Amino acid sequence: MKRVVITGIGAVTPLGANVDETIAAIEANKSAVVKMEIWKEYDGLNNLVAAPAELKNEKEIPRKKRRSMGRMGIFSVQAAREAVADAGLDREKVGSACTGCIIGSTMGGAEAMNDTFELMLPKKDLSELSSMNFFKCVSHTAAMNVSQYFGIKGCVMATSAACASSLQAIGAAYWLIQMGKQDIMLCGGAEELHAIVAGSFDILFATSTHFNDRPELTPRPFDKDRDGLVCGEGSGILILEEYEHARNRNAKIYAEIVGYHTCGSGEHVSQSNKQAMVECIDNTLRSANIRPEDIDYINAHATATLHGDKAESEALKEIFSDKVPVSSMKGYIGHTLGASGAIELIATLKGSERGIIYPTKNLENPADDCKGIQHVMQKQKKELKYILKNCFAFGGINASLIATRFS
Amino acid sequence: MDRKKIEEMVDEVFEESFEIEKEQLSQEKGIFQDLGLDSLDIVDLIVALQKKFGVKIRDDNRVREIRTLGDIYSFIESLYKEGSFTIDKN
Repeated sequence: MKRVVITGIGAVTPLGANVDETIAAIEANKSAVVKMEIWKEYDGLNNLVAAPAELKNEKEIPRKKRRSMGRMGIFSVQAAREAVADAGLDREKVGSACTGCIIGSTMGGAEAMNDTFELMLPKKDLSELSSMNFFKCVSHTAAMNVSQYFGIKGCVMATSAACASSLQAIGAAYWLIQMGKQDIMLCGGAEELHAIVAGSFDILFATSTHFNDRPELTPRPFDKDRDGLVCGEGSGILILEEYEHARNRNAKIYAEIVGYHTCGSGEHVSQSNKQAMVECIDNTLRSANIRPEDIDYINAHATATLHGDKAESEALKEIFSDKVPVSSMKGYIGHTLGASGAIELIATLKGSERGIIYPTKNLENPADDCKGIQHVMQKQKKELKYILKNCFAFGGINASLIATRFS
Repeated sequence: MDRKKIEEMVDEVFEESFEIEKEQLSQEKGIFQDLGLDSLDIVDLIVALQKKFGVKIRDDNRVREIRTLGDIYSFIESLYKEGSFTIDKN
């Protein structure tokens, strides 16, 4: 099996237009969560906070490439451009058959779907539909647009597993390189914010509703006052590369991916399943051939829902007890859903580079049902060799990945 | 006078929908080779012209004959003369 390393990262997040801006804002303990006044027009939508990303400089992308992109397409291309530049890859190589692209999202562009229905349904008339709505609505809109932008000729795929989408994309890219099918993979996730998306969680009582006038205090992963998730948007893209390929061109290596596993719970479409989480993490440790005590830090999924945080805490407690530091990024940038695994892995890699663990923002009093694990409530200095990233999604889908600082 | 107004309105469609600068727009320009539109853009051109002039042209066979910007001006002008729409001269 080939070894797989991470050689480039790029992100557009609610906290910034690139990785450095995002990390600087996390370092400054900033929250990207704001009140969504515009959502007041929806009856029955009780969650009025979200973490929007700023759409800017989109005209740097030529019109013919941009015309098929909604917000998530633009975010993903911008993040991919940063990642490719960061990796120092030449465009000819990226545009070759040696390079593939797997980018996941919960669904296609919500804004384009909304526009399509608004145009089509009132008079049952399709004559005003743009040719581009389809390309913005499809589930592979991010993967399709990034691969078209760079002229990628290798494997192009989209994972769609809600909140696990981007970690599954990274995992699938890892497998492809491991098997020798591709040398380079652009992979990660993207998501765009819309009332359709937030509303879908809201009607399931999964969103935060008690902090609409104090947005910076929510979400509150693991906290006794947590009351649900807060939707965010953006994109995180990583460049995965076969180790010898990276070494031959003297690429900067952030980390090596050494373990990955994904599995279903097969139990319930929305309820978190502690046992499935345990099995996912156990199998990830086994695939990396390391023990629980080797893990130096866990970047949790922890979205601040009542049931999800409890189940994840119990799963982590069973495997790691209170021996390994655990934190969540959701308090800074909300839950970027299909993009969250990639964005949070990138933030973890940057922290790891500096020997820093970022604390769980808004965690003030760990809830009784989340106790027994080592919560990080203040910024910690620690040399991180092995890090574990978790993503757990609706549909009973779990994904975990282990990366190690390169040596 | 009406032809001039039609040309201005068609030019606006090209500026707004296809980000082509006004200076590049003249009637002899081929919409594919000179202005860079492709088959997908033609779908959106039809949608934009329908919206701009309040007409239904998707199934009008004359659309298939369009090659230049001047062809579009003339096509829209003939629709106007047929009474398919009126122009607000303000």
